[in-house]
Amino acid sequence: MVSDMFSQLVDAHYTPLFRFALSLTKNSSDAGDLTQQTFFIWAKQGHALRDTGKAKSWLFTTLYREFLRGRRRADRVTALEDLGPVEADPPAPEVDIISGLDAGLVVEALQEVDEVYRVPLTLFYLQDLSYKDIAGMLEVPIGTVMSRLSRGKAQLRSALARKESGATGKVIPFQTDRAKRFP
Amino acid sequence: MNTQQAKFILQGYRPDGADAGDATFCDALEQARHDQVLGDWFAREQSFDAVISAKLSEVQAPAGLREAILAGARVTASGTPRRIWWRQPAWLATAASLAVIGTVALALWPKQAVADNALTEFALADARHSETHGGHGRETGALQAMLSQPSTRLGDQLPVDFAALHNAGCRTVSLGEREVLEVCFKRNGAWFHCYIAQRGDFPSLAATTVPALLDRNGASLASWSDPAHLYVVVSETGRTALEKLL
Repeated sequence: MVSDMFSQLVDAHYTPLFRFALSLTKNSSDAGDLTQQTFFIWAKQGHALRDTGKAKSWLFTTLYREFLRGRRRADRVTALEDLGPVEADPPAPEVDIISGLDAGLVVEALQEVDEVYRVPLTLFYLQDLSYKDIAGMLEVPIGTVMSRLSRGKAQLRSALARKESGATGKVIPFQTDRAKRFP
Repeated sequence: MNTQQAKFILQGYRPDGADAGDATFCDALEQARHDQVLGDWFAREQSFDAVISAKLSEVQAPAGLREAILAGARVTASGTPRRIWWRQPAWLATAASLAVIGTVALALWPKQAVADNALTEFALADARHSETHGGHGRETGALQAMLSQPSTRLGDQLPVDFAALHNAGCRTVSLGEREVLEVCFKRNGAWFHCYIAQRGDFPSLAATTVPALLDRNGASLASWSDPAHLYVVVSETGRTALEKLL
């Protein structure tokens, strides 16, 4: 029989875990599978975790590792770390305009952010984990998390600007990250 | 700390104020209070972050996901030994006797050899939440197409390369420490769920190429094996629908 503690754990975390999985997989079915898989692993070995206060970090970390295990794209992650300096505050739609956008469109913009930045950025926006927790989860220094957040936000602003332009039919300048990276 | 350094730190400050007690942000926050330009930038940054967080929080998990997680965990937990009382000699002797009786019974009645109990229970529970299935890769498409062919009979040799299907993105679920693939297919207007496990992961299972049937809680299940794989097909449209595939 599934314990009350497990049910409570599922109730508290399955939705944010699904949102995190959705940003990784870009697919609702795969995100559901990944979320399920994470809780299966908990059911199998999570009882070994002595400090239940760390359950949230454990679940997010396990989900991310399971995603990586399925993807095996470590080479790409390494390559993306070598990009140049962050563009300072790229143009983004006004907050009022973003507020009026459909949530699905905003999630699509988030999914356009490179994976290496998207992972900490999504965790940051879910607000469940601090930057220190995120650093521990990704096994990178705190400064690296801050740097990835900064780059991720820059990419997100650009993506939102493209989405907003697309939604309103505006012509956008040929000045995207992709155009710069692959001249 | 110059303005750029302060911005670098402050952009990691969560918009719900959860980091208010974190000493890392104290100096930068203090600087933002005294520097009008930095303060304005921080206010805009927090507004931007807050609206993105709010949008993300509007995303809802699919209906049925919670129930699927709980059902899956129930099966996983039932497959995990929790007590060792049965390791006592008296119980082992009893178990050995039952095993002999069971082996004889199976030999006399081979069609009752149904797949490993944990696997069948898992398959039945998982099939009840088919709305969460998906994520099949290209290689899965060929297998799915063959299973959907009216000429394919359950028990036929299927073109299964477990590793290739797994790597191609076939839906994979964990049962204990064993991986099980799942492919949905449609036949005669009804959906079926085919679970594929590696025989080496279930060594106690008797080999049978003749599908054995089982009915449980309104669902029907057929299981058989080939030298490398164990197959379980679940139908929720009744035993008759499943028997048409035999």
